[in-house]
Formats: sequence, structure tokens, C-alpha cells
Amino acid sequence: MDADAARSQLAAALVRVGTGDRGALRLVYQDSSAKLFGVLIRILKDRSEAEDVLQDVYVTVWRKAALFNPEKASPITWLVAVARNRAIDRLRSGTVARRTAPIEEAAEVSDSAPGALDMVVKAEQQARLGTCLGELEEKTSQAIRSAFMDGVTYEQLAERMGVPLGTMKSWIRRGLLKLRACLEA
Amino acid sequence: MSDDIDHTTPEDEGRLIAAEYVLGVLSNEERRAVETRLALEPALAREVAYWEERLGGIASYIKPVTPPTRTWQRIEAALREPPPSAPRPATLWQSLAFWRAFGIGSSALAAACLAALIVIAIMPPPEQPQPRMPLLATLSGAKTKQPNFVVTIGADGRSLSIVPAALLTADKRSMELWLIPQGGQPHSLGLIAPGQPVRLNVPPELIAHVGAGATLAVSLEPPGGSPTGKPTGEVIAHGDLTRL
Repeated sequence: MDADAARSQLAAALVRVGTGDRGALRLVYQDSSAKLFGVLIRILKDRSEAEDVLQDVYVTVWRKAALFNPEKASPITWLVAVARNRAIDRLRSGTVARRTAPIEEAAEVSDSAPGALDMVVKAEQQARLGTCLGELEEKTSQAIRSAFMDGVTYEQLAERMGVPLGTMKSWIRRGLLKLRACLEA
Repeated sequence: MSDDIDHTTPEDEGRLIAAEYVLGVLSNEERRAVETRLALEPALAREVAYWEERLGGIASYIKPVTPPTRTWQRIEAALREPPPSAPRPATLWQSLAFWRAFGIGSSALAAACLAALIVIAIMPPPEQPQPRMPLLATLSGAKTKQPNFVVTIGADGRSLSIVPAALLTADKRSMELWLIPQGGQPHSLGLIAPGQPVRLNVPPELIAHVGAGATLAVSLEPPGGSPTGKPTGEVIAHGDLTRL
């Protein structure tokens, strides 16, 4: 099955979950749990914590799936948004003893990107994101990827990259504006 | 430092806060502030959806990790409790004889529903990372089945609005609102006013009990509220919470 078919199948299953179809939830779980577990481990840096949140995420998906609109969102980005929000809220609530990961880790993961395209979003959309991130200054691109993947605050990012807080905010805010301009170009 | 100066337009600012929210660089307080604004500003909500879709692609750089089998079993167990379609266990309140029913004009009901909708409109919209959806309950008298109150509870379970749908007689007694969790004991949510909408904060220890299937009831109590912490007077209306 190609990526488009896989995405359509996941979207259809998610829509069925919204109607209370529990079998469909199982399909959604089978197709997305490894991706979401990876995302959660990356943010929480703790497997058992990530497992807890993963459980929460699918219970939330069960309740909120009716709000998923396949015309407006990719199923996996919708699921990733649910998962990241839960993980970030858990992190910010301070209940997780946070282990710090070096910034290089983000760069290392993203270096493997060209081969790592999966069904997260449509291929052309994904390619565009890659191109536009690539057009940013390297430090800015790295900061944005790291913020997204690790769910860290401006303060933590500034500390990791050894720059003042104001500088980090400025990098990211300018980078986001450029990124948007590029994505819409 | 020149790096600290952002030359951004107000439009940029609106887009930036949405992007910063999705990126996850904001503090807890800032995140909650954005979520509150999202409820009131559809343009901001669209921006958040835009960034979720576009930045979401960064997740494809993250290696998938297969979760242990037990995770799915736990999810299934969590969904079984309580079963969404199973009948609610009978509570004390269902067996109480209700002493009185109130008549209600259709315009009063319409006004109450409108007020409830306004309350709903300012609650966080569904796309937000709220763990729960807003809840609604119509509290009716036992005999007439006519709605006497419309209650809405915010998505976070913390904030409650109760709008009287009927013009109630001038009773000297206080009206007290109670939350009865499925199969549980009544907990007071506070006193309400007969003639006007009232906004109450759900006590933190009760937030966990606010959910679909829980019952709300209004009882008549001595001025100042129940002296015992449990309902002592007649129950004039009750109804179950449902998710929107």
C-alpha cells in the first residue's frame, strides 16, 4: 500500500472512531501508535512516562475523534498534535524529572531526514517543509526542529545552545515568519 | 542587543503566538492564555491549525518505536470504564420524590438556551488540547419534566454556568447546586440565584468527578445553604451531564 492509500485509510478509520466505532480505534492505534510513541519518548525522555501518556492520548482520541476533519488536517498530524500537547503539558506541569538531551541529538536525527519520509503528511507538503527549513540559517532551523521534537521552552533552548534568551526568541520568531513566507510562496 | 528587537507587524504577532504555541516553546501559563484566546478568536484557531499541519511534518524525522502490547490492553480497559452506552447505575436521587414542578414559558426556555449557547461559545473550541469537551445538563422538575435550569461546564471541568430557564417563585430558602458522581454521594457546588445566571468555580477536588453521566441537582436549603454539607431540603430539579 502506498503512502497516499495508507493516509486515506487512517483518515477513514479516524472518522469512524468519531462515530463510536471501537474497532476503528484499534486500526488507528495499529497504524499510528509507533509514531506517537516515538514522539512521546523523544519529548518525555522516559519510556514509562511515554507509555502512560500514550494511553491518555488514545483515550483522548476516542473522545475527540469526532472533531477530526479530514478535509482540513492530515490524520497523523492531528494525532501528533494531540500527543505533543499532552506530553508538553505533562512536562510543563513539572511532574516529569526531565533529563536534558544535548542539542546535537536533534541535528543527528534530522540529518537522516531525506530517507526518513514516512506517511506523516503528504509527500509534497513534507518536501516543501524540508526545503523551507533548509533555507533558514542552520542554527535557526536546528532550534525550530529541536523545539518541536523535544518540546522545550525558549529558556531551555537558549541554555542548550548557549545564547541569551532574547537572542533565541528572536531567532525562532524570525525563523517562523520566514518559514511561513516560504511555505506560502 | 539588536537581536532582541523584532520588527513585526500586529498580523505577524498573531501568527507568531500561534506558531510558538504549536512549536511548544511557551510556558504553561502562556499556553493556557493562548487556549483561552483560541476560544474567542477563530482566526487564531485557524493559525494554530495551519501550524499544526505544517510543523507536524517535523515529526517524520522521529523514529517510530513500537509500544508494548500492554498499552493497548490498558487503553481498552480505560475505555470499558465506564462503558459509554451502559445504563447509569441508579442513584439516591432517582428514587427521591420530588415535591414540586415548575411551569415554564417557551420564551424563558429559549432565553436560557441562548444564554447557554453564549457560554458554550466562549469555551475553548474542540481543536484545542483540552482533555475533555464542554458538558451540558438540563435540570428538570420530576413531575413536569420541564427544564428549570440549563447548566454548562467548561471543557476543563473547572468553570460552571447555571442559567434559570423558569421564573421561580420567591422562596425564602436558598437554592443549592449539587454534583452527584455516578454511584457516588452529593457534593455541594454552591448556592445559586433564582432569577439570574450564575457562574461557579468547581472545587478542585471535584473536577475529577465532573463528567458525562454525573448528575446535577438543585435542592432548597435554609438561607446560607445546607447546614450539614449534604442536601437537607426538597430537590426541585435534576438532570444528567452530557458531552457536547
